[in-house]
Amino acid sequence: MSEYRVTDDDLHAYVDGHLDAGRRLAVERWLAEDAEAAARAEDYRAQAALLHEMFDSVLNEPAPAEVEDLAQRLKGRLAGNDNAPPWYSRPWMRSAAAVMLLVTGVAGGYLGRGAVAPSPALVEKGRSLQIFAEEATQAHRFYTSDDRFQVEMGADDPGALDSFLSQRVGRDIYGPDLGRIGFRLIGGRSLPTDTGAGAQYMYANDQGKRITLFVGNPVSGAETAFRFAQNGDVAAYYWVEGATAYALIGRMPKDELQGISKAVYDEVKSGRSKRQPQQEQQQPPADTQQRSGDGQPQEQPNPVQPVSDTRNKDS
Amino acid sequence: MNRFGSELEVHIASLRRYARALLRNPVDAEDLVQEALVRAVSRADSFQAGTNLRAWLFTILHNVHVNQVRSRAARPDEVPVEAVESRLTTPPRQEERVEVREMMRAVESLPDEQRQVLLLVALEGLKYDEVAEALGIPIGTVMSRLSRGREAVRAKLATDGSVALRRVK
Repeated sequence: MSEYRVTDDDLHAYVDGHLDAGRRLAVERWLAEDAEAAARAEDYRAQAALLHEMFDSVLNEPAPAEVEDLAQRLKGRLAGNDNAPPWYSRPWMRSAAAVMLLVTGVAGGYLGRGAVAPSPALVEKGRSLQIFAEEATQAHRFYTSDDRFQVEMGADDPGALDSFLSQRVGRDIYGPDLGRIGFRLIGGRSLPTDTGAGAQYMYANDQGKRITLFVGNPVSGAETAFRFAQNGDVAAYYWVEGATAYALIGRMPKDELQGISKAVYDEVKSGRSKRQPQQEQQQPPADTQQRSGDGQPQEQPNPVQPVSDTRNKDS
Repeated sequence: MNRFGSELEVHIASLRRYARALLRNPVDAEDLVQEALVRAVSRADSFQAGTNLRAWLFTILHNVHVNQVRSRAARPDEVPVEAVESRLTTPPRQEERVEVREMMRAVESLPDEQRQVLLLVALEGLKYDEVAEALGIPIGTVMSRLSRGREAVRAKLATDGSVALRRVK
């Protein structure tokens, strides 16, 4: 029994996704007892959803040329006094990480900010994954708020969708089957990201609730644990598995999304190991029914050369 | 390119959406963002690497906004005809659902200070301390404005009839 007293501020922080696990639990315990507070939380979330519905279209409008220009200039100016990122995005600099830490430490007082300094490569990786998650979240907002153009290609033929997106991304990817948790694939699209082309798969359940799975290239291959990010009313789980980065996005409570992330993770894991040995064979059974059922004879999905390289690395 | 660039792009998209939500008028909103960026460029040296870029940008935008409001109040509205024209031709948004229209009205009826906090938190996903920094107010004030703003919107939506405030799906 926790004696933690829940405040009004906690309720807001809960809605906005700013609580740590312990306090979140305390708030949820409270909400389970207090219907009035639960209704408030739900209304606050609904307000956020409406705000997004009202204004997310701005994100799809091109910025005026002046704004673009200024953004470029600002980028240049800031890069000048930014003593971190551009340096370690260069591979040869990574090997000189230790030297660089020293330099940055002396030059910028950068390290003085925290007691423990993570390695630049780690910082870099974390940031770029964060950016990946942000991009995935933005893409979710863009395309779930637009009924007409929500997908670039439908999922009537999942095999065709997968090979289309695989070609765009430059490696074998696929939208996992989430049927067992009630979400069906409705389609996907390819999008530019900070680390090359990415693919967005969109799913919907019977209530019309939509989630997107964003698949892309991580900056470095090492796998990571699940990470969580909340942006307004949109929640995201993201991780790296194999040589691929994933972000699962949805407008729903963190715990609900976590359950789905787990299902995606399992599907991707089992799918990868199941599919790989079969890659060169003809008709894989069971879970790939739809693709073999559509009568397409295993056509080579567009023989783009570099793809085979990435594929090999993938396995 | 560098990470920094794409981070900046995300923030600028966020500034543009916030400005639109705050001012509603597309021309005014882009003007505000533009002026804020001009100032950001001229003050780029004052930005310290490792500090919060988003909060820095929103602080600048907020200050520019405050100045604009002040100078507009000080002199009669004189604007070039073209600007007015494009203002007039802003297409009405007819396709909106009832709830969206009600929400729009509810947000507009909020005092500026509450509307700003609500938009920064609920629309732009800023953390409370970032809002405090951007608006130059203590975090306690952020929380009380947020609370009052959310409750006011809630009350307004509840009394404006169609209580059908959509439950989050």
